[in-house]
Amino acid sequence: MKDTKKMIICFLTPALLFFVTIFLYPVCRTIVMSFFEAEGVSDSISTWQFVGLQNYQKLFSTSIFLDSMANMLKIWFFGGLIVMSISLLFAAILTSGVKFKGFYKAVVYIPNIINAVAMSTMWITAVFNKRFGFLHNFFDWLGSDLAKVDYMSGSIKFWTLLVAFCFGSVGYYMLIFMSGIERVSGDIYEAATIDGASKVCQFGRITLPLLRGVMKTCMTFWTIGVVGFFVWSQMWSAPLQSELTTITPFIYMYNVTFGTQGNTERSASLGAAVGVLMALVVLLVFFIINKAVKEDDSEF
Amino acid sequence: MKERKQTKKSLLGLEWKKQVYLLPGHLIVGAWCLFTIAMLGWIVAASLSTSPEIMRGKALAFETGLHFENYVNAWSANNISVFFANSLLYALCAMCGSILLSAPAAYVLARFVFKGNAIVRSGFITAMSIPQIMIVLPLFSLATQANLTGSKVVLIFIYIGMQVPYTTTFLITFFSNLSRVYEEAAAIDGCPPMKTFWKIMLPLSQPGLVTVGIFNFMGIWNEYFLSLIFASSEKNMSVGPGLKSVLTAMQYTGDWGGLFAAVVIVFLPTLVLFICLSKTIISGITAGGVKG
Repeated sequence: MKDTKKMIICFLTPALLFFVTIFLYPVCRTIVMSFFEAEGVSDSISTWQFVGLQNYQKLFSTSIFLDSMANMLKIWFFGGLIVMSISLLFAAILTSGVKFKGFYKAVVYIPNIINAVAMSTMWITAVFNKRFGFLHNFFDWLGSDLAKVDYMSGSIKFWTLLVAFCFGSVGYYMLIFMSGIERVSGDIYEAATIDGASKVCQFGRITLPLLRGVMKTCMTFWTIGVVGFFVWSQMWSAPLQSELTTITPFIYMYNVTFGTQGNTERSASLGAAVGVLMALVVLLVFFIINKAVKEDDSEF
Repeated sequence: MKERKQTKKSLLGLEWKKQVYLLPGHLIVGAWCLFTIAMLGWIVAASLSTSPEIMRGKALAFETGLHFENYVNAWSANNISVFFANSLLYALCAMCGSILLSAPAAYVLARFVFKGNAIVRSGFITAMSIPQIMIVLPLFSLATQANLTGSKVVLIFIYIGMQVPYTTTFLITFFSNLSRVYEEAAAIDGCPPMKTFWKIMLPLSQPGLVTVGIFNFMGIWNEYFLSLIFASSEKNMSVGPGLKSVLTAMQYTGDWGGLFAAVVIVFLPTLVLFICLSKTIISGITAGGVKG
């Protein structure tokens, strides 16, 4: 018994120490910091001034921050809709008994294993370049006027960003949906086929309802991913640090705490408040998803 | 014999018919895959081409032959060698470090009932969903206080810690699926529990360690934000921010071939890893993903 206790302590302590320094302590300090006024990131606590909710009030009256929130919401909603429907469709296709399933699965997943900077460079140059990109060549071949459009400027920029980001996300959610579908027993489908239900009908009446739990997982992961939206946005605004059409709260926080070009104001505590708000957003979405989607008790 | 051949033939026919019936599916997913491959292929082709050729939209013609010197330029002139070595160091350290920390923790969490077990587990799971913005500011001030900004140690330390919750959660599932027979046999033979772990359980969990190790390696290789914040100069940058600085420099030099060569060098390690181990990786995603 004593041996076991010693072992538990010895084995758990190192991991816990890291957990406390990398996660627990920083989270607590960020929350506290968001109620104070501090200019530099590494200012010591003694120089902080308590200001209550002022940081939050300030955020909600800053138009750049509100724009960034609106962008995030757009990415979450439209992107989520696109990614979830495409990955569900792909999962349905790949579990229907097509040949080369392994190959398709691997290729659709590839964008996930490639560095996001490399991936977005490919999109920006190979696809969206206004002189030699695929899209330009395609419209040129069609003889359409769309070939003359610069896909990397103006309001189109946001949508090209969204398309590129969604394209890369599909593989991951497809794999999760596939594992969900594969867990549904084949007997159910067989019975449905005997009863004369078509494939499409089976998908709508059997697969979708049974995938509620998986859907919940996917939406949670999607929300976490969108809150952490940073690289893609930065790549799309290069060479600038950030741009109104593609700014996200994460980018705004980076600008405001580390003081980048074109940003006169620097306040670490304002950045902390953004962090806390984002964590609250994730929590809120968790809560809503858990309330809205009932965990299915059906064993399958 | 003849009969068997015939059934095989008719089965093949049936399979053939089925695939025709599934043709729309093939077309949709096939087009998607074709696009992915075309994009990667174009980048590789462009990396062997010259800037004027790329600008004229003739990256695939190779009118002036293959330009392997783009790779040489990217590797040395664009500093990619430095970023590459840094990323390799960070990824390997994080991979080994987090396994060394997490495997013992995961083992006791999976095997023993004790006070706080559930709290620690849910703590790790929560940590996986905490946005990085929540933790980066205090970490930065800690690094400043410890006078470690501008050294590689900070990033190694943070990367190891970052991967601990995921690694532990993944390995808990893995250890719970291992039979207890081994420990019981070892205990009867008088082997102390800690020794049993290092000598018997850890070697037995090799498949799980390999999978989680690959994930950690790829995760750190592709990490961007923390490297941007904590690598104060180019000499500490990993490939993500490094490649972005190459891209920014490209605006002035106009060396497109070199840029694409840099892109290929950055994605090649993870791509090769994925092509060789795609089965392990794909099954690991769903095993760790759905439960986590």
